[in-house]
Formats: sequence, structure tokens, C-alpha cells
Amino acid sequence: MPLWIQIAPGSKQPVYKQIFDQVSQQIAQGKLNTGDKLPAVRNLAAELVVNPNTVARAYSLLEQKGLVITKTGAGTFISDPKLKDPDMQQISIINDRFDNLISQAVNIGMTGEQIRELFEKRLSQFNKLDDIHGDKTND
Amino acid sequence: MTNPYAIETNDLTKYYGTSAAVDHLNLKIPYGSIYGLLGRNGAGKSTTIRMLLNFARPTCGTCSIAGCDSQQLTPELLTKIGYINEGHKLYGSMKIKEIQQYQAAFFPDTWNSKLFDEMIDFFELSKNKKIKKLSNGQRAQVSLALTLAPDPEILIMDDPTLGLDVVVRRQFLEGMIKLIQRKGRTILFSSHILSDVERVADHIAIIDQGRLRADCTTEEFRSAVRKLIIHFDNTPPQEMNIPGLLHHRCNEHIIEAILIAPPEDALNQWCKDNNANIHSEVEMSLEDQFIEYTITPTKRHLFSWDKY
Repeated sequence: MPLWIQIAPGSKQPVYKQIFDQVSQQIAQGKLNTGDKLPAVRNLAAELVVNPNTVARAYSLLEQKGLVITKTGAGTFISDPKLKDPDMQQISIINDRFDNLISQAVNIGMTGEQIRELFEKRLSQFNKLDDIHGDKTND
Repeated sequence: MTNPYAIETNDLTKYYGTSAAVDHLNLKIPYGSIYGLLGRNGAGKSTTIRMLLNFARPTCGTCSIAGCDSQQLTPELLTKIGYINEGHKLYGSMKIKEIQQYQAAFFPDTWNSKLFDEMIDFFELSKNKKIKKLSNGQRAQVSLALTLAPDPEILIMDDPTLGLDVVVRRQFLEGMIKLIQRKGRTILFSSHILSDVERVADHIAIIDQGRLRADCTTEEFRSAVRKLIIHFDNTPPQEMNIPGLLHHRCNEHIIEAILIAPPEDALNQWCKDNNANIHSEVEMSLEDQFIEYTITPTKRHLFSWDKY
């Protein structure tokens, strides 16, 4: 599955963040797999028509978060998610996001059951999660 | 290369009569960057660009390109500079192939005919067509091809995409990205289309009433200008000395504050001291940030129907 990134012009999200978010989402959804190679910075910059420094910034953030590894001379590759554990700070960010979502859902009148159902449905979109979880239990 | 800057201005100033169009502007543009020059109409962007290229003389201060004072630019150095003016003014009576020959003569060593032909083909233009028969967009395309064909080391463009449709605008952005990927190329361009600027520029400079108001990486500006909604337990204090505050709007116990890179600790301390808490942060696009950064706070809205 090739990398598919869409830059929204005039977005509230900075361009490097849009690239970062879309790549990490595609990793989570299993559209990008361990060992897949990301396009070279200059190629992606030309394709998306954005400054190469912006793409490089997104790549370095992906690397910082452990989602990709850069091998000198060879390129940037999706890293193995089993190798990394989510740290406490990241978990607390996710917690905050959940709180926001849940309060939004409650405000528009959704019940707990409906929220749970929706969550399960969304979760099932991320088919890769089962593999990761399965592997971890076996270790 | 001894001078690290492709373009430099030192206290660059231009007066028209008694009013300063450009007022002690200090700009340093390193090689290899795409600099977006932002500012409202009449802020001094075009005057700055005109002085850089020696179309206008500074009242005082200096400016230079590739380390050479703008008033002493040699023909040799000029062949390394590309310039696109606002409105893409080209000789109307020339055919595209004639203007190609005319332009090529100025760049005996660097003119790339193949590149020019390829771009003209890509734009689906006939080289036998006269410039005056072209649409605005087509004329802009010819102007882009004429400017990129000699592979300029420094490209300066004054609002190049003004009035162009989205497709031609995107072609200009693509041209810029292609050029910057060649080693050491530098681009300075002004524009009012901030989503374009955000896409291609790694640095932005904001000029306001002839003065430099911001000069930083696009990313720094994006993260520095913030809009926070702050709630007060009691009446907000008279003196709103929040760290980094640019301006604010007050609505009883709630204020909406525009802050520039507020230090997190100082901000939290201020809130604690004033019985306030940060309710939320409003995310902004570059355009929102530019407006908040450059408007006069008392002149937020054009007018209100209710008053009349």
C-alpha cells in the first residue's frame, strides 16, 4: 500500500503535523507495515508541493516517536511497533483525548452504551491491533 | 562562500515625501531557504524588493544580494538572479519564441532551452502566439518559464500569484519546490495567500508599516502565536500584564488573549496570582494568526449594521 498523504491548505494544523498524523494513522491502521520504506524527503516534498524541510521535520518527529527508523544511505523505514512501549506521558495524552471525546459525545446526548458500541466499531477498523496484542501475549 | 546570506538588508529605509515606506529594515536571508514576505497592502514589501534589485534607491541604509550592494550589482551577478514582477509585465508584441530568444541573450552561459521548451509544452502554449494574445494565467506561465530556464541561484518574486487561478498558482509553487531542491538556491517571494506561503516557505518575514514585525521559521511562528480563553473567578484585573500578551478582548469574566510565545511557567504563575485559569486554546490557521498579529485590536470588525 503506497503512502497516501493529503495536505489541507489553510488548515489549523501545521503542515509537518498533518504529514506526521497521516503517516502515524496509516501505521496504526496497518496500511503501512514494519519494514515499509517511506519516500525520500525530496520526492515526497515534490509530490506534495511542500518545502523539503517540512517533510524532514515530519520524518524526524516520526523517528523521535519511534514510529520509523532512518538507516543512513538506505532511507526511512517503518519500525517494529512491538519494540516500543507507550510511555506514561503518551498514555496521559491519550487519556485527555478520550475525556474530550466522551464529554463531547455525552453533550450531544449519546448514552454510555452507544459510546461503547461506537468505540468498538472504530477499534475494529484498526485490524493491526489484534496482531500486536496477540504477539505480546505470547512473549 | 564567505557571506552566509543570499539577501541582506541593514537599516534599509525608504521615504516617499515624509512617510516611511520602509523603516530600518534588517533582514538576513540565508542561502537555501524559501522566505515568504508577508504584509498588508502598502506595508513596504514591493518597495523592499525594488530596492534589492536597484529599481529604487534607499533613503538610507543598505541592501545586498549575494554579498554585493544592490546599487553595484554587476551584469555577471544579475545573470544569477531571477525576478518576477507583480502582474507579469512582458513585451506584448513579441511571440513566445521571440521573447525566449530575447531573454536567452541575457543568460549566455546558463540559459536552458530544453527546460524552457519543456515548460511551455507542459503549459500547452504555442510558441508562435503573441504575448498580448495570452490570458493572465498564460502570461504568468511564460514569465515563470523565462525566469526558471536560466536556473537562477536567487529568485525574487513580488506577489507572483496575484490574480491567478488555482492551477497556475500550484504550478508556481511546484516551480519553487523544484528550484529549491537544487543545491544552495534561495527564494524570496511576497504573497497574500497564506496557505501557499505555509506550504512552501520555511521562513516568514512580516512587514507592517515599513517595519519588520516578525522574522522566523514558519514553524516557530505557527507555534508562537496562540489564542487562549482565560476564565477569571472574579472581575479580571485592570492591568492585563499576562506574559507575552499582544492584545485581548474582554467579556465579563472571560478574556480571549492573543499571546506571543508565552513562557509556560510564567503564564501559569500569572493565572495563579490572578485567580484565573486557562479554559482552552483556540487553534488557528496561519491566516488567523497573521490577522491577529497585524490588526489593530480596536479595529477588529469593519462595521456593524445595528448602528445604522
